[in-house]
Amino acid sequence: MAECSCGNNGVKLIYSCSGAANTGYLADSVSRKLMKEGKGKMTCLAAIGADLSGFIESAKSVDKNIVIDGCPVACGKKIFEKNELKFNHFILTELGVEKGKTEITEEVINKISQEIENKI
Amino acid sequence: MVIKILGTGCPKCKQLEENAKKSVELAGVNAIIEKVTELNKIMDYGVMMTPALVVDEVVKSAGKVLNPEEIKKFLIQ
Repeated sequence: MAECSCGNNGVKLIYSCSGAANTGYLADSVSRKLMKEGKGKMTCLAAIGADLSGFIESAKSVDKNIVIDGCPVACGKKIFEKNELKFNHFILTELGVEKGKTEITEEVINKISQEIENKI
Repeated sequence: MVIKILGTGCPKCKQLEENAKKSVELAGVNAIIEKVTELNKIMDYGVMMTPALVVDEVVKSAGKVLNPEEIKKFLIQ
């Protein structure tokens, strides 16, 4: 949902790679959990990749962009760099998750969400 | 040229609209200024922060009140 910038400080937007692997699924789940808990607003990484002006201008205007990539391919990071946007970056395989192996349970989602929350 | 001000009617939205009107005068262009206040229509532009400025369906800024000179640059491109 769009937010008025009047009196608003510290708006964070969250972007997930949402890739096909377990790591992408985890990135998506973690992003949704962080949004649900009010830690930021999830928005579409694909729209930034597609050069949609509203999403790009929004990314430029907020306090922080949080990009969550599932694996070291780091599609989210590359999309943000291509558009010269500032961002905080997380790669879930660097947080103990194994691509193609780790089962994505509620426990894993909670643990990774907490780790990211502590850093944003 | 169509200029749209996206926002729900807050003071910043009103200021951006005023600045857009001034920028049209400064640039000497023919332009229609429209206000978009419905949240769903604002979201259709992918805008997460208002007010936003749209020129011919391209979002030029979000979450900022550009001054008339800054807006003018988008009108004479």
